[in-house]
Parts: sequence; C-alpha cells; structure tokens
Amino acid sequence: MKASARLSYKLRKNLVLAILLPFTIIITIYLTFFHNRGGSSSFTLNITKNRWTRETQASSSYLPFTSKFRIPKYSYKKVQNWMFNEHIDEIISEGHIAEFDLNKLHSTKDASINKEKVLILTPLQKFHQEYWENILQLSYPRELIELGFIVPRTQTGDLALQSLEKAVEKTQTDKKNQRFAKVTILRQDSESFNKLAEKERHALNVQKERRSSMALARNELLFSTIGPHTSWVLWLDADIVETPSTLIQDMTAHDKSVLAANVFQRYYDDEKKASATRPYDFNNWQESEIGLELASKMNDDEIIVEGYSEIATYRPLMAYFHDTTKPVSEEMILDGVGGGCTLVKAEVHRDGAMFPSFPFYHLIETEGFAKMAKRLGYEIFGLPNYLVYHIEETNI
Amino acid sequence: MEHIKRFKLKHTLISPTTISIAGTLLTLYFLSKFLFSISPSIANIITFPITLISIIFSPSSSTISESSSTSIFLNPYVPNFRNNPGVEFYDLANYQGNKDGWQKNDRILFCVPLRDAAEHLPMFFDHLNKMSYPHNSIDLSFLVSDSSDDTMGVLLSNLQNAQSQQDKSKRFGNIEIFEKDFGQVIGQSFSDRHGFAAQGPRRKLMARARNWLGSVAIKPYHSWVYWRDVDVETIPRTIMEDLMHHDKDVIVPNVWRPLPDWLGNIQPYDLNSWKESEGGLQLADTLGEDDVIVEGYPEYATWRSHLAYMRDPNGNPEDEMELDGIGGVSILAKAKVFRTGSHFPAFSFEKHAETEAFGKLSRKMNYNVIGLPHYVIWHIYEPSKEDLKHMAWMAEEEKRKLEEEKLEEFYDKIWEIGFDDVREDWETERDSILKNIDFKGSENDIFVDWSDDPENENNDKANKANSNQNAKNGQGNGEGASGDNPGQAQYPKEVPLEFDPDKN
Repeated sequence: MKASARLSYKLRKNLVLAILLPFTIIITIYLTFFHNRGGSSSFTLNITKNRWTRETQASSSYLPFTSKFRIPKYSYKKVQNWMFNEHIDEIISEGHIAEFDLNKLHSTKDASINKEKVLILTPLQKFHQEYWENILQLSYPRELIELGFIVPRTQTGDLALQSLEKAVEKTQTDKKNQRFAKVTILRQDSESFNKLAEKERHALNVQKERRSSMALARNELLFSTIGPHTSWVLWLDADIVETPSTLIQDMTAHDKSVLAANVFQRYYDDEKKASATRPYDFNNWQESEIGLELASKMNDDEIIVEGYSEIATYRPLMAYFHDTTKPVSEEMILDGVGGGCTLVKAEVHRDGAMFPSFPFYHLIETEGFAKMAKRLGYEIFGLPNYLVYHIEETNI
Repeated sequence: MEHIKRFKLKHTLISPTTISIAGTLLTLYFLSKFLFSISPSIANIITFPITLISIIFSPSSSTISESSSTSIFLNPYVPNFRNNPGVEFYDLANYQGNKDGWQKNDRILFCVPLRDAAEHLPMFFDHLNKMSYPHNSIDLSFLVSDSSDDTMGVLLSNLQNAQSQQDKSKRFGNIEIFEKDFGQVIGQSFSDRHGFAAQGPRRKLMARARNWLGSVAIKPYHSWVYWRDVDVETIPRTIMEDLMHHDKDVIVPNVWRPLPDWLGNIQPYDLNSWKESEGGLQLADTLGEDDVIVEGYPEYATWRSHLAYMRDPNGNPEDEMELDGIGGVSILAKAKVFRTGSHFPAFSFEKHAETEAFGKLSRKMNYNVIGLPHYVIWHIYEPSKEDLKHMAWMAEEEKRKLEEEKLEEFYDKIWEIGFDDVREDWETERDSILKNIDFKGSENDIFVDWSDDPENENNDKANKANSNQNAKNGQGNGEGASGDNPGQAQYPKEVPLEFDPDKN
C-alpha cells in the first residue's frame, strides 16, 4: 500500500516519468507480444520454419496476405458522378446470355446476297453534308450497314457532332427500311486528332504526331464498334464526298483481305478554266528498294511518309497508276494503304491488325496497318482505276 | 499540498495556448490530407486561373489550351439520341477506368479463352461467384475453340446457374459466348503444350484466339478488361480490387503453383512475366524476323529477371515491379489499352508473340506494365509426361509394397505353423551342454593344411609348427621368426586364435 502510494506520488511529481512510463510500457508490450516477426535473430528460425508450413496448411493460407500485410478493406459505397450522364444499365438486359458462332461468319464476294454486315467507320473531324448524302446514296441494303464515328474533344468536334446528330436523327426516325442497322458515335477521351489547321497539318515535322493520334482514334473507333456480326469494315474518310453508289458491292466482289480504292480530288483548274481531277491520296504504294534502304538507315523511332520531297522513296504510287483506258476492276498489289476508302475483311482486324500509333517498320497509322496485315499473312490490293473523290479544299 | 501540485500539473498540460496550438496543427493536418485525397480536381481548380491568363496573353498557344480547358470545365456537347432506335453515343472520357471502379460502376469485361476446359469450369465458376467486385458490373465473355469435350455444355449450365440466382446482385452483367475454331495442330496435354518446338506456332495461334475474343467482346462502355485462364486454383476474392486500386494501365499478379510433396511443395509457374535484359535484346538480334523467344527453355537463355522469382512470402503484396513481357493467367488492363490498339500480336513482334508481346506492345504505346511480385495467385498443378510416369511408378510401387507385406504376413504364418521355434530353448540348453568343455587345452590345437604344393609340404609343416610355437611364446618373438624365414614373413604377424596376452 505504501509502495504504491509512493509510486503514484512520484508519478505525479515527475512530469517526464508520467509521460514516459505508459509509453514504455505500451512499447514493451507491443515488442514482446506482437512484434515477433520483425526479424530479430531469436525468432528467425521460427519464421523460416513457419513460412512453408503456413503455405501448405490450407488453401486459404495460399493467399498473399499475411498477418503483417492484411487484406485491404475496400468500401463499396457507390460514388455518384454528376458528370456521368449515360446509363449503361438500361442497355444491358438482366441475366442475358448470348451465343455467337463465329465459324459461320464469312466475308465472301457475294456480300449482299449472303447478307454480310458492313461496318463503315469514319473519324469525323468536320461534318460535310456531301459526305452524308454520299453515304445515303449507297445502294447496299441499309439493314446490313452499321456506321461508326469518332469525334474529337474540341469545339470543332462539337460542331461536327451537332450536324451529325441532326443528319442521323433524320435518317433513323425515317421509315424502318431506310434506317441503318446501327449507328455508334464516340467522343474521343482526351487527345484530339485535329488540333491543327489544314495548312499546318501536312507539314512534314508534324506528320508523326498527327498521324499517331489519328491512329489512336481509328483504333478506338474500330475496337469499340466491331462486333460478332461484322463481316467487312469500310474505312471511309469524312472528306470523301463522291463514290459510285455500288461502292460496297464493287469492292467486296474482289474478295480481297485489304482493298484500297484510288482517291482523287476534283478542283477548278485556273489555267484551263475548267474543273479537272487530280490524284489525292499518296499513301497507297508499293515498296521500293530505295524505300527499304532508307528505312534500314533510319533510327527506330523515325517514320517514312509519302508525298514529301525530303524523303524521296521512289515508291510506285497507286495514285499515278490511274489509266482510263484500262478496266475499272484492275487490281494491283500494294504494300502501304491510306485510309481514304479502304475495305478490310473483319478477320484481318480481329486477328490483330490495327493502326500503329508508333513507328512500326518505320511506318505509322494506315501504312503501318498494311505492314501489320502483311506480317499476319494477308495480301493487300488496290484498285488504281476505281475512283472516289475527296472534297475540294477551299482554304488553300 | 498535493492538491495544489495536481492542479499545477493540469494547468501546465491543458493550458489554453497549448490546446489552441495543437488544435490548429491537427485541423491543418486533416485539411491537407483531405485536399490531397481529391487532388486532381483541386489541382484543376487551382491551375484554372493560370491557364486562363495564359490563354489571354499568349494567343499562339490558344488552340491547345482551349481544348484542354473545355474538357475540364465545360461539359462538351452531348447529343440526345434517346428517341432514335439503333443510335448510341458514348463519351469515351467516362470509360477511362477509375482506381476505385467498384464504387463508380466501372464495367469490367471479363475475357476467358476456353479450350477443352470442361473439367476446370466448376472450380472457375466457384471463384467467380465468390468474387467481391459488384457482379452486375462484370460482363463475361468466353471464346470456346477447338474443344473435343463438352466445354460448351458445362459452360452453359454453369452460366444458367449463375444467372438464375435468387440474389439478383449475385448475377453478372452481359454474357456473350463466342465459338471459333482455329484448327489446333498441337495437343493440349501439359508436355505437348510446353515442349520447346511447339511454343512459337502455338503462341501465335493462341494470340489469334485472344484477339478474336477481345475485339468482338469489348464495347465502348467498358472501363477495364480482365483476362483470366480457367485453371487457377487459389485466388483472393478481392482480386479485381487488389489489382485495380494500383491504377495501372496493365497489371499482373505473380503466378505460382503448388506441387506434390515428392516434387518439392511449390514452384513458380508463370515465367512469361519478365523485365527485359541485355542478354534478351542480344538474343533477339540474332534471330530471324518470324522467330519467337519463349521463356523458361534452355534453348533461349535470356538472363531476364522474372517476376515469379522475385517473390518473398513475407513481402508486401502492394509492391510493384515494372515489366516488359507478361503472362496471360490473370491480366487486368484499362479498356483504353485495348481500345487504342494494343493486342496480343499473332506475329513475331520484337521476337515475341501473344501475352509477352502484348506487354512489349503496350510499353511501346507508352502504357505502364506492372507486376506484383509478392501478390501471388496459384495455378493448378498439371503433371507433365515425366511426372505422370513417375506417379504411375509410385502407384505401382505402393501396390507392390502392399502385396509384399501381405506375402510376408502369409509366410510368417506358414513358418509359425510348419516349424517349431527352438531358438529360445537352445539359448538355455547351450550353456548347460557346453559348460563341461575346456577350450583352453593346448592338445586341442587343430592343424589345417591349406597348401597345394606337395614339395613345400614339410617346410610348411615346420613353419606352421614354428609359428605356433612362437605364438605360444608371445608376440615379442614374432620379429625373430620373420628374420629366420623372410619368404613367409606374413605368418607371424597373424594373431593366433588362442592368443591371450594375460597368460604370458
């Protein structure tokens, strides 16, 4: 009794002791009872013995959490995002199980007879009414056509989206047989693919960056929209404004894995005072010795782009093989393609051929895609005499 | 006196100034912690005036800043297609993948490639049902290819069970099953699949299968994609949350497998997760364009550091390690990785194919690829051909031992019946029989003639007698005897049977 009284008195008298004593007691208790896996030498034997037995005891002890590193506690309280204005739950039916036999999916030369679905994909930087009218005049059955668009996250993208909304709304609320099977419109997340104005955008030094972000947009569009029914994918640029109305039938009839049409441009020739046509897309080409030699000398992160005098590859360009005297259905083998108007069998994309956003064999975007398709064992063809037309650029 | 002291103590400890100082410090601490926890939005708000000023004063950079500022503050234009059938609009910015996706309704696409997997499916669905991630936000998609067993039937019955559960929150989201045969050249037994020569073509074929599944299954509204093999034996319920909260573009756990005792308990399984090494790059340079490096085979020594070997059973499961190639047992990736074009190359990409090349490709596209060395999931143990042989031998051996034991028992019985065991009697009788015999008498010397040579017979006899004599006289004379007969020096060195040093 006396001793305890003395102790309490001492405690009260000595401030330092009053604070330190409980602390030291707690620490010693912790060290002796709870801290026995910290690796102090007297316990090491115990640990090495335990760690294997613990793992072999029960299946639950295989889990990566130990008494030192416990299972993290997660909160499952829902966080509402007020910016989030899309309701996915409405699309997904409850308990839904769907089966698709992809063995029965084919891409044949009689696409329309076999009711093969075609997915038309367009990265939409600017909405041209002529483009939409051209799509509408295609004679391929609309219930077999799906459309996919990706819009950049900019103000010009907003404008394009508004025009597109009007156009789509008009068509899709029309008679049932006039509607497209499906229209998917995507808004790109962050990087916009048309930061640059028309003039700058063809400068050589910005090509890599521009085409890299373009490749990302194309991939996002492709892999979000390609579905289990898709047999063909038609890449059609937003500024292709004139094609034959039988475009899809004509191109599928060739039954090629990758097939590019020749993109020309109508313009007003000031000298002749008459409208004329000129080749536009130079990304459709055959590889040349010089091109390969150039590539072998380049750094890994450099790319070759066509149409610039700085990089003279002397590749045979499909644009210059146009010959009005030859049949329209003439084919030529290609090594690089553009994205202007290119028809691809869906299996090529499903096998993994995508648009590299990085230098792939010194090629990027659509040309890189052609190389990747070739690496996967597909052949690439072009139609030099089958013309589609790019819109006239008024701001040059 | 004591009373006053106590009061003083109280006074010094709980004075208004100390309390106020401590209070401000605490509030500051919690406030800063709170602010940092929601830092991205705070950072935006703080930096907004700066970007605004920069837009006003530098017209050259206006185009870029404009787009970034609109994305933060003004909601970009959202069209309304509610009344238009067959038209869908998605803002991909909403599906970038959050690190706390289970709270934000992030949808996961759960991809499972299947081939002859009927036997593993019940275990797989057991894991699936136990998963703690909100099931409604998980969309399952399966690819059944080249199966000779009833994979499809088992899969369907399991799925129907899962989707008809009473508790609706236990049901999964959208379920899609795809069938596609690629023509399997290589068998599916462990040794067939893991033989060296089979690796390249096999990996390319599997890559095609994965790409077909991934490309048709992914929808614009998926935020995450999870690839999982069915033959995982032990996996935490919280696997999704555990991987997701790291907020990485591509992340894989460590994969080990348990072994039977006779093979040594446990073993690293997935050697496809590694960090590139100089040796690996050098090896890649020597190979042809279509060659594929595969890990874990002595033919290709790459000296890479493998995720599997980095494991410490007591290590922190949160530890991360950068990787270049990854394995496909359990991959969690943000959907944007696949959406922007990364996939499982079915050709030789930088001398790799399938999941390893997926790692390399994702790195090339500037995504981070992370492995968790101390966070382990356990693959099932499938015996290889040698293991099977050994196991057959062990079974045989066990049988044989059992048989042997039975026989032994049987023989023991026979012996007991057929023969009288007199050994104990003999022990007791022997003493009484032998007690009268004196072994120590010298006349009992037994002489055995070992020689074959009749000429030396006499000589030998003399020698033997001599040596016997020597022995009787003691050891000390041995040397003298050898001096007399150098030819037979070994005899005296032999210790005679009746030698007794005490009697000397």
